[in-house]
Amino acid sequence: MTTAHFLTTAWQWNPRVIAASITTLVLYGIWQRGRFSGRAGWLLAGVLLFYLTLASPIDTLADGYLFSAHMLQHLLLLLLVPALMLLGLPATPVAGSQSVSQRPGAKGRPRRALAGWWLGMGGMWLWHAPALCDAAVANVWVHRLQYVSLLGMGFAFWRPIVGPRRGQRLPPLAGIIYLFSACLGCTVLGIIITFAPVEICSIYRHPVDRLGILPLLQNQWGLTPAYDQQLGGLLMWVPACLVYFTGILALFARWHREADPPAPVRDSPLTTAPGEKTHAW
Amino acid sequence: MSATAQAVSREESPLPGGAGSGLYGWVATVDHKRIGILYLLTTLVFFVLGGVEALLMRIQLVRPNNTFLSPDAFGQMFTMHGTTMIFLVVMPVLIGLANYLVPLMIGARDMAFPRLNALSFWLLPCGGFLLHYSLLAGGAPAVGWFSYAPLSETPYASTSGVDYWTLSLLILGIGSVAASINLIATILTRRAPGLTMQRLPLFVWMVFVNSFLVILALPALNSAIVMLFIDRHLGTHFFAPAQGGSAVLWQHFFWAFGHPEVYIMALPAFGIISEVVPVFARRPIFGYEFVAASTVAIALLSFGVWAHHMFAVGLGHPMDLFFSATSMLIAVPTGVKVFAWSATLWGGAIRLTTAMLFAVAFLIQFTIGGLSGITFAVVPIDWQVTGTYYLVAHFHYVLFGGTFFAVFAGIYYWFPKITGRLLSERLGKVNFWMALIGFNTAFFVQHFLGLMGMARRVYTYPDLPGWGLLNLISTVGAFLLGAAVLVLLWNIVVSLRHGRLAGDNPWQAWTLEWATTSPPPAQNFDRVPPIRSRRPLWDLAHPENPDPPVGGRAARDGFVVEKNRVGMVSFLITESAFFLMLILAYLYYNSHGMSGPAPESLLNAQRTGLYTLCLLASSLTVWLAEQQLRAGKTVAFRWLLGLTMGLGGVFLFGQGREYFRIFHAGVLVNSNLFATTFFTLTGFHGLHVGVGLVALLILMGLAGAGDFKSGRIEAVRSIGLYWHFVDAVWLVVFSVIYLKLLL
Amino acid sequence: MPTSFNPIFEPASAQTAAMAGLFELVLVICGVILAIVAGLVGTSLMRFRARPGAAEPRPCFGNRKLEMIWTAGPLLVVGWLFILTAKGMQQADPPANQTPDILVTGHQWWWEVRYLPGGEVTANEIHLSTGRKWLVRLASADVIHDFWVPELARKMQMIPGQTNQLWLEADAPGTYAGECAEYCGAQHAGMRLTVIAEPPSAFAAWLQNQAQPALGPVSATAASGLKLFQTMTCVNCHPLRGVVTGASVAPDLTHLASRHTLGAGVLALTETNLFRWLKNAQAGKPGCLMPDLKLTDAQARALVAYLETLQ
Repeated sequence: MTTAHFLTTAWQWNPRVIAASITTLVLYGIWQRGRFSGRAGWLLAGVLLFYLTLASPIDTLADGYLFSAHMLQHLLLLLLVPALMLLGLPATPVAGSQSVSQRPGAKGRPRRALAGWWLGMGGMWLWHAPALCDAAVANVWVHRLQYVSLLGMGFAFWRPIVGPRRGQRLPPLAGIIYLFSACLGCTVLGIIITFAPVEICSIYRHPVDRLGILPLLQNQWGLTPAYDQQLGGLLMWVPACLVYFTGILALFARWHREADPPAPVRDSPLTTAPGEKTHAW
Repeated sequence: MSATAQAVSREESPLPGGAGSGLYGWVATVDHKRIGILYLLTTLVFFVLGGVEALLMRIQLVRPNNTFLSPDAFGQMFTMHGTTMIFLVVMPVLIGLANYLVPLMIGARDMAFPRLNALSFWLLPCGGFLLHYSLLAGGAPAVGWFSYAPLSETPYASTSGVDYWTLSLLILGIGSVAASINLIATILTRRAPGLTMQRLPLFVWMVFVNSFLVILALPALNSAIVMLFIDRHLGTHFFAPAQGGSAVLWQHFFWAFGHPEVYIMALPAFGIISEVVPVFARRPIFGYEFVAASTVAIALLSFGVWAHHMFAVGLGHPMDLFFSATSMLIAVPTGVKVFAWSATLWGGAIRLTTAMLFAVAFLIQFTIGGLSGITFAVVPIDWQVTGTYYLVAHFHYVLFGGTFFAVFAGIYYWFPKITGRLLSERLGKVNFWMALIGFNTAFFVQHFLGLMGMARRVYTYPDLPGWGLLNLISTVGAFLLGAAVLVLLWNIVVSLRHGRLAGDNPWQAWTLEWATTSPPPAQNFDRVPPIRSRRPLWDLAHPENPDPPVGGRAARDGFVVEKNRVGMVSFLITESAFFLMLILAYLYYNSHGMSGPAPESLLNAQRTGLYTLCLLASSLTVWLAEQQLRAGKTVAFRWLLGLTMGLGGVFLFGQGREYFRIFHAGVLVNSNLFATTFFTLTGFHGLHVGVGLVALLILMGLAGAGDFKSGRIEAVRSIGLYWHFVDAVWLVVFSVIYLKLLL
Repeated sequence: MPTSFNPIFEPASAQTAAMAGLFELVLVICGVILAIVAGLVGTSLMRFRARPGAAEPRPCFGNRKLEMIWTAGPLLVVGWLFILTAKGMQQADPPANQTPDILVTGHQWWWEVRYLPGGEVTANEIHLSTGRKWLVRLASADVIHDFWVPELARKMQMIPGQTNQLWLEADAPGTYAGECAEYCGAQHAGMRLTVIAEPPSAFAAWLQNQAQPALGPVSATAASGLKLFQTMTCVNCHPLRGVVTGASVAPDLTHLASRHTLGAGVLALTETNLFRWLKNAQAGKPGCLMPDLKLTDAQARALVAYLETLQ
């Protein structure tokens, strides 16, 4: 079995995934009443990525072979697919004269943001508890629950940043803190997985070779179980952080464009006004 | 424009005055301008010391098999040179410049926390003195500035040099973190009206981002050196492999600090260049937003590249590849800056003053250093050149040819503002050319020495072809560079007394510090000019062609930025990083099985759980106390405060009993790595609880004296926040140690 | 000593040849980038100097497209470099579970070299046969050292508490110099290594010789030297197969006289140097762990006579 052969034959026929993808596209089309803007590209990319995650050789590898492939699936479902799909939704325009705090929906923002953050982080950490991780590989219903929950938590996580209702988005600087702290969270987890001798998902330590591709993976690609776990931890850490990092830069650009800078300063009453005599502190 | 420029008479000191006169005034000052000058003068002294240490090494290396310095003396020299230059020169000089300039550039009267500012400064000579005292007290540390374990453990470094190194770095680290917290609070809360964050001068923006780097990176160093100190004095084995410790963990922890550290030394220098180049090219910086964004990118990425110092450790190809990728990525935002500065020159009207000469040299030299850095990111190349003089050449090009040349540029640029007199351009040009030739002679040849196989940190070398000649050239260059520094010192001394009077704005620059006298009065500004763009003074001077307004109108947003809260949050960020490192160390050591005492036999989760509930309850009571004070009910406030202290005290009592029980079972901190990590983690947490109790006691006293009646309760809210933090940390510690989460 | 010493760019193995080739390519890329920057800056300095009396230049705040280009361009270059790196690293390090051929242990400040499976031990010199790859396992007895033979292989740290491995091979017979590349204490500079690559037959002969225990003394002086070796503290540190076993804190001296250097490359192995070393090792390698045994000249000469027989 060569790499090329594997990549061309290991695709899954998964009717549920196909149905979900097509349904999403159809619903979107109906909603947009057939008028597509550039935004539609994002949604299409999201749906395509969704399909790839669950039906391409990535899924084959994740299904009991490679911990790193399993991790890649998680990251795609939690971080990329929801973000892309949210970007594809038409944004509710905001009247320029309103300040950020007057926009509709602004009041519940901190609570929603906190919830979204915890769900996003929780989703990442929860499914790496060894018991849950193994269960998801062993039991197909837990597996489906895992996918659905990852997607859901991903949507909850990204809504405060790229959600369609502009008024409900976090202000850019808060968004930067939101993403940065998420990056820290996934870094800590990534470091633990990369360096820990503890087996996160013990099932991957001894993969059952249903398809006869173990030699390809371990010899040709060099992915022994030890390297595989390391790679999985690194994926969680580096590319995931790069996603947050791209988000941070985008928020930074948005901040510069927006006309609302953060509030100046409520000075402590003891600050001397210019010209007032100072006292030696 | 401010009032008339004051003529500085001969009788008056050319340096800014403040409350208090003479020497006492300087020692007791809390004025950021004086503190900035103190920083600059102190770093000058250490610069000379560090330079002497370098020249002594270059004398030893001038020819093969030289015997000028013994191997041990040489080891002390390179350790002291590196530590001095990094911690006592480059970091503080940048903080000192920031200290002086940031309040002026944002139109503020002083830093947010003037007394903290003074403390930050005084920790510098303290730490520097402690470090150099080791030379007299048994020998300076001789383990290299990054002090790899186990070479730095007691069997191999038996003098107290490493202990002096450790303690002085802790002191200096506290000073740096305090200064950075101060800068963050100042920049967020002290800006003049109209100066939105998007209108910040790039120097200020870079110092702002840099301050976050400092507060996140220094804790990694602090945790590592604390663990080393405990190893050396309490017989533990964090980094002693023979007894189960890990030498590689030291490397990870150190470089997790060490890599952001080099960006800490670079970003403010980038800020200086971003101010100097536009002014002397007579054009605004090209692409402000991209330069500002690239600063953020560099700061973020700098935490993800540290293991590129460890490509030869054998971490495995996946790790090497990932760190190689991030290290290459970080070159992109740096390149964006270099292109932006170069584009600023293009189409300008360049005036080659000394400051500009140094800035232009920076551009080329930093690029050379950065490119040699890229070669290190290519892992197979690193496998050949790491640990050689090629590496020494690389970091001197970025740190001296880069950062230090930027500092020289900054000195020539801002000296008139600080002292009221211009530095001599004639002497300046001599200084520049000597420095340029000396620096490049000294360090360019070192690239070749490394490629020819000369390892670093060697006190001598065999008589191989070309080695002697290149080392000789390098030594000559180093001495020329030393002479250049003497010329600078002479220039400063001469110009202080006979320099041309500068006036408010000798360079026709555009940022706010030039809108006041030189030197500025005690309150900095009599009146701050209107600020509508990034170059307020350009707008004033060119009302027919002002800069397009950026950064929008001031708006009332949800964010309330108050200095005590900002200060406390920044402090908590740094403490979180510290605890994170200790928790990671705990997880690392306890995820392997080990012999000796184990948590199952020693710890009782239920009992400690009860004490945990007490601590959590104390969070509730302190929150209630805050509410009561806000409502004006001081008596209830004091009762609740007392209850909080009581609950905290109960928790500490419980911890104490736990410790006592463990000692009684014959288990001490050095019994095994579980005991070591347990005591270290819970010990530091307990220390934080204790400090919190002291803070609450002080609040109690202040409340008794009637301090909070006016409704100013920021101090209470900040201490409350600290208390919640301590509880949150305990929750994590409890989960990890007692509930064995993640293990 | 080699006459020309440019080890990184005169590789003598496939591994280092690949590294050198990559390095040359990357240097060219870096050179181009430097030329662009220097060109921009130099041209600006020449064309755009301030002229007295001229008005201020019109402000230009940037050009988004240009800025995008000079962000995307370097990203592409960096991507290319990354691919080169990944491919360059495919000269993979040895797999973890293969039996090594040579065990090298770093000490302060000498190299212990042990061959498997025969167990032949020497110090500060590695002999190899050409025509095959040798799996070297690296360890440390005390602090972190770094194994570096620039003409033949990558650098790899020797870390106490863990083992590392690398491939060592030489295209052609010759003498290759190596050194420790991680500061390991006072005599880090004096921890040099010699690697001698020989044709397989010559290597086999050498290895066989190394397997023999120490030859007996051939003269009376040498016999008294051996006696001194046994009665003075030499036996506490230096292994000498056939005379003393157990000690291994210092280099194995069984075939000392077959080696080329003394003190881990610090001195050439001659009678005079050996004499001087025994009289006062600290003079030759200050800080080294060999104590001053306060030998008289006669005692030293006797020891030298014995040690010289240890071919």
